Amino acid sequence: MRIKSLAISVIALVALAVPASAGAVTLIGSGSVAAQPVLEALFKTYTKEVNHKVHFLYTANGGNAGVKDVQNGTSQFAGQARTPLPSDAGTTYIKMFLDGLCIDVNPKNKLSNISIQQTHDIYRGLLTNWNQLPGSGLETTIDPVGRDTNGGTYNFFLQAVLNNELPSSNVNALTADGLVVNAVKQDPSAIGYDGLAWQGKGQKALKVNGVPCVSSKISVEPLKYPLSRYLFLVLPTGVNNPALTKFIDWARRDPVAGEVIAKAGGVPAFNKKAKK
Amino acid sequence: MEEEYLPEYGPKWSDQRAERMLGALVCAVVGLLLAMIITVFARAWPSFAHNGLAWFGAGGSVEEQLNQIYLSGLSGANYVYTFHGWQLIWSTMLITGGAVTIALFCSLFVSVFIVEFAPEWMRNILQPVVRFLASVPSVIYGLLGVLVIVPFIGNHLVTEPQKASVAGVISLSGYSLLAAVLILTVMIAPLMVSIFSDGLRAVRPGWLEGSLALGVNRWRTTWKIAVRTARPAIVAGTVLAVARAIGEAVMLAMVSGSVAFAPNPADGLIFIYEPSRPLAPTIVKNIDSLGSPPANATLFAIAAVLLFSAAFFSLAGWVARRAMRKYGATA
Amino acid sequence: MESSVATPPAGPPPRMGPPKSSNDAVEASAAWRLSDRIGLAICWALGLLFCAIAVAIVLYLMVKGLAYLKPSMLVTPATAGFSQSQSGGFSDALIGTLIVAVMGISIALPIGIGVAVWLVEYGRPVALARIAESTIEAIAGIPSIVLALFGTVIFSSTALGFLSRTSEGVVFGRSFFAASAMLSLVALPLIVASTREGLNAIPHHVREASYAIGKTKIATTRRILLPAARPQVATGAMLGLGRIIGDTAIIVVLLGATQNFAPVGGAFPINYLRGAGTTLTNFVYEASPTGNLNQPEKAYAAAFVLLLMVLALNAAVDVIHRRARKVGTWSS
Repeated sequence: MRIKSLAISVIALVALAVPASAGAVTLIGSGSVAAQPVLEALFKTYTKEVNHKVHFLYTANGGNAGVKDVQNGTSQFAGQARTPLPSDAGTTYIKMFLDGLCIDVNPKNKLSNISIQQTHDIYRGLLTNWNQLPGSGLETTIDPVGRDTNGGTYNFFLQAVLNNELPSSNVNALTADGLVVNAVKQDPSAIGYDGLAWQGKGQKALKVNGVPCVSSKISVEPLKYPLSRYLFLVLPTGVNNPALTKFIDWARRDPVAGEVIAKAGGVPAFNKKAKK
Repeated sequence: MEEEYLPEYGPKWSDQRAERMLGALVCAVVGLLLAMIITVFARAWPSFAHNGLAWFGAGGSVEEQLNQIYLSGLSGANYVYTFHGWQLIWSTMLITGGAVTIALFCSLFVSVFIVEFAPEWMRNILQPVVRFLASVPSVIYGLLGVLVIVPFIGNHLVTEPQKASVAGVISLSGYSLLAAVLILTVMIAPLMVSIFSDGLRAVRPGWLEGSLALGVNRWRTTWKIAVRTARPAIVAGTVLAVARAIGEAVMLAMVSGSVAFAPNPADGLIFIYEPSRPLAPTIVKNIDSLGSPPANATLFAIAAVLLFSAAFFSLAGWVARRAMRKYGATA
Repeated sequence: MESSVATPPAGPPPRMGPPKSSNDAVEASAAWRLSDRIGLAICWALGLLFCAIAVAIVLYLMVKGLAYLKPSMLVTPATAGFSQSQSGGFSDALIGTLIVAVMGISIALPIGIGVAVWLVEYGRPVALARIAESTIEAIAGIPSIVLALFGTVIFSSTALGFLSRTSEGVVFGRSFFAASAMLSLVALPLIVASTREGLNAIPHHVREASYAIGKTKIATTRRILLPAARPQVATGAMLGLGRIIGDTAIIVVLLGATQNFAPVGGAFPINYLRGAGTTLTNFVYEASPTGNLNQPEKAYAAAFVLLLMVLALNAAVDVIHRRARKVGTWSS
């Protein structure tokens, strides 16, 4: 008797978690932290204005982790901040919008421009003190902060800046762009990289090779800002998900979506311009 | 209420039947443990086979080696197994050694205090406190470590010249050996206190009274006689604490920073500020690479080393506690 | 020479232990050597340090937890949100903890009681009894991360694929079933030890009286011994529960791929139990800077709730002990 009542109460507890709305579609995704701000904004606008029945669940665990989730079926889609690699077998990459990887320092750092070579040297442990970079006004040891291997951003940085050489062991590898922002904000000697959507918030973006990291200069073809990139949505090949396809089409083409992307910090790539 | 005695056939559950069923249950549990040991070692075998004793040696960066192993597994052929785990083993030894030493000192004094010298009101506070500290989940210790202790060390204790001296090799950001040892000490001390207290309480009162009657003061009586007699309990408590410290994964994963690094005492005293990642957190931090076969084997190899050392120390502690019974103590 | 030795007046039996009034301690220690007094001072200092650490932990978590904990967090599932105020609460984590606790204990309790009964009441062949005791001790000493890895092997096998999600022939291996099964191993040694203590404390004449009226051993155990050992069994179960809800390593490996429930086909509630999910410990881990969520405020709130649960279990154990002492012991 006691066991029966225990079982009933367990089921009742679990029933609390059952979504109350019937007929709702939940799209489960994971992946890129760099793409998160823009994707969240798109999700919210889509649910509010286009289709109330579609909800999104996105876990930002890093682009590479997200692709793995798609490959083993945990997620229906993934955000990714780098181009496809051979290890991404079984997935299809769809370009969503443009983004730039900005190099940031603390506002106390007077540096305003950095070259790709200097960034490479810092993250490879060849440049270790700020006095080796004229213009910074600091004499302290450089604290390089980066992303960990779960992030597509890490791969993009590896390929675009480090020439596929691994970062040195003094780089603090963090799990999220937000943590990079925190680290740069709190440490005057820190330098970090994060996506365009994470700018502001107490850090200062540097010009790279003389080109500032702003949305007007983000373009891949032709390449203006050196660290411009596409942000992708990764789907499992051969799986047809009509709700997801509709969302992707809306996000890529619709002018309202284009405005949402721009406001959230991305750069719309394919969206039609809004009719004034 | 069911009939237990059926007139025709006798009791519903005969003793023989019950004994056999329960015996089968016990055999199943024993079998489960054996299966666990065999599985872990079997899965770990490729990594040990490819590396031999060099698995325990030094050479190269563990971080890079794990990365190589993982990437080679994705390609489907030509698995790379090269792994030199000395960095991890050295970190484990440093952290465990440091934590157990400090905890031993503190726990000995606290348990003597609880059993002997604390006034009633103090004992009534201290015992629940010790039980509380023992029951706090390790993730909460880790959270406090990473949000309070690590920033404190990074911002207030580490100085610029110290950072400059290891610039380019490792950045002293607060994720450090010091943080790990401090928190681990707080985690294992309650365990030691409870076992030491049990041992101290079990000392024959006659011996202590005799010593007091000879004029030895209470402090010396306790230390020279009670603590000496309770040596098996102290050994048991220490050994169990070592087993617990070796197996601690989550808290150390949260304060060990992002790089698998082993502090280098040759750097001088600042080596306590260097990050340190022992064996158990390495598994937690690399748990995503279970899908890649060589990485799977390497992680299981680390688990095998953990299993072996933790089981060894646990059984040693149990043997020491059985020796305690010779002195009349029960623990 | 006196012909008889005068017997001293019978006073209270001499005993070791702290004196009843604090005055004695002060007088006694004032006469000691400096090194001994320093030793006593160290004792006091360390004792107070322990108390201070415990108070600091509780107060800090309370302050930070209450600052960030809103009642809505307990009933709102985590949603994808950019800033912490928009990303919902952790109701899924809370329910997940309860599910895992109930399932883990319901597996561990029967097995633990069965093993303890066998060890105390039967226990033959003796070799098997020794091996069983060592096994339970060994299981107690195995780090939970190793148990978790073993769990991945078991539950990723196709034979047990029905306990978690399977997609294209690859068994996912992570589900509430998997996590609860391995968590029961974490609680098992505590239950066995407590039950053994409880059964051993029952004097033999009780058993003999029962056999004398014709009851079998198993009936005696079931009807008389186990009910009498209920406080100890309950203590063991509570201690096991405490360890289960505090465990993170097994959850991170065998359960926590998401921050929400991810039910896997089939009938309710089995679909939730087969799917992945999260618990409070996993949520705190993920929300901290080590995890992926970067939500330290929610981490504090969830940690505070977790601490409250653990404190409640501790208090329950104390209450059981006090009630058992009041009931009294066997007359023997």
